[in-house]
Amino acid sequence: MSFHHLDQYARVASPITSVPPVVRLLATIGLALGVSTLPLGAWIQIGMLATVVALLAVVARVPAGVMLVRVAGPLGFVVLASVALLFLVPGEPVFRLGPLRASDAGLLRFGSAMGRSAVALGAAVVLVSTTSFPDLVHALRQLRLPRAVTTSLGLAYRLLYLLSDEIERIERAARSRNARAVSGSRRRLLVGIAATALTRSLARGDRTYRAMLARGYRGEIRSLHSQPVDLRAALMLTALLLITAGITLSAYWTAG
Amino acid sequence: MSLIEVVDLTYQYPDGTPALATVSFAVDEGDKVAILGPTGAGKSTLLLHLNGLLLPQSGSVFVAGVGVTRQTCKEVRKSIGLVFQDSDDQLFLPTLLEDVAFGPLNEGRSPADAERQAMTVLADLGLAGNEGRAAHHLSGGQKRLAALATVLVSQPRVLVLDEPTGNLDAEGRARVVQLLRQRKETLVVATHDLGMARALCSRCVVLDRGRVALTGNASEMLADEVLLERHRLLVPL
Repeated sequence: MSFHHLDQYARVASPITSVPPVVRLLATIGLALGVSTLPLGAWIQIGMLATVVALLAVVARVPAGVMLVRVAGPLGFVVLASVALLFLVPGEPVFRLGPLRASDAGLLRFGSAMGRSAVALGAAVVLVSTTSFPDLVHALRQLRLPRAVTTSLGLAYRLLYLLSDEIERIERAARSRNARAVSGSRRRLLVGIAATALTRSLARGDRTYRAMLARGYRGEIRSLHSQPVDLRAALMLTALLLITAGITLSAYWTAG
Repeated sequence: MSLIEVVDLTYQYPDGTPALATVSFAVDEGDKVAILGPTGAGKSTLLLHLNGLLLPQSGSVFVAGVGVTRQTCKEVRKSIGLVFQDSDDQLFLPTLLEDVAFGPLNEGRSPADAERQAMTVLADLGLAGNEGRAAHHLSGGQKRLAALATVLVSQPRVLVLDEPTGNLDAEGRARVVQLLRQRKETLVVATHDLGMARALCSRCVVLDRGRVALTGNASEMLADEVLLERHRLLVPL
């Protein structure tokens, strides 16, 4: 199993990858905050922020198809979480779906949730596509996220690969002995694989902890210094945050 | 006084399985010692005692004259660089550079110093250019060298290696052996790779079922097929 495709554009030289990861992370947070604080039905502003995200993706050389596929997955969860709004929020009926009646107010909330989420997810996709996971962890450290959190994330990143290799090996061993693909057997096989992988992960965790102790670990992982933020990157971030803030505030002015 | 002195070391696992029984031997400064024995002989358990990761239940371990106890194990670990059998256990941070700098940072070096030291060691081992890569992007041989780098960076007096050529292809094995031959540190290698022991070590300690069965000159012992067969190090096919 491979996760290498996740940050494949982090190695593509672009104006986005030339700025420090912490700046990319702050820009993403700024965009996500800007779009999530838009009032209901701010379609023009949602469109404008979507254009900003699309431009960032173009500059970062992330293909449109990749963007759409990566946004579509998590957006499915947003649909699941917010589809009930269509039918639960009181208002004028717009359409019927069997016994359910969608209201105009529900449609407004559902549409706004979808639009805001799509833009925020788009920004997140640009970030994770152009920033390797280690760089993201560094950026979170620079933002003074608790060390326990960043340490756990860093260790989890390595263990994710080790665990996926472990599962792949166990599954291959099972298949080599003609493990059957019919649903009942398959379920039992998956449960067995999960249990074995968990046991092996615990043993590996123990061995890794010993390896850490052997090199002087005393309960805190100290980190190397990170890429400094230069004037150009600071100006780019400021400009993006000002544009985002301007678009967000314009929604309130026009609504007022 | 010997650099490492193991005296009547005995250890049982928590489930009661005996691992080591009255093990005694000594290693002098500059020695290259192979700990030989079949799987389950107690080699890895013995190595964990040298670094203070396991503490003696009875008997003693001394490193540079310091008895290994809960109070002294941090000091002992500065002298003993332990390379584990599975490199994936040793490479746990997101990038190779961070992994190699982990030890120096724990010793109190500044981040800039630790990074410089790590870069130097990686370059020495032919791993320059891989600093920002994660361990899962490295080949088996590169991982083994990287695991070695995480220890060499702290300049230990003794290198303790658990099966350093295990799971390596011929080229990777030759590279590791060649590199270890060039090292000046005292070397303790647990292995059942007799070829590597012959190439690297001047002395052997044979462990069998948790006991020291033999100690002696490596070239003489490794040439004695009857002796090797008796201790399950060489089994005719």
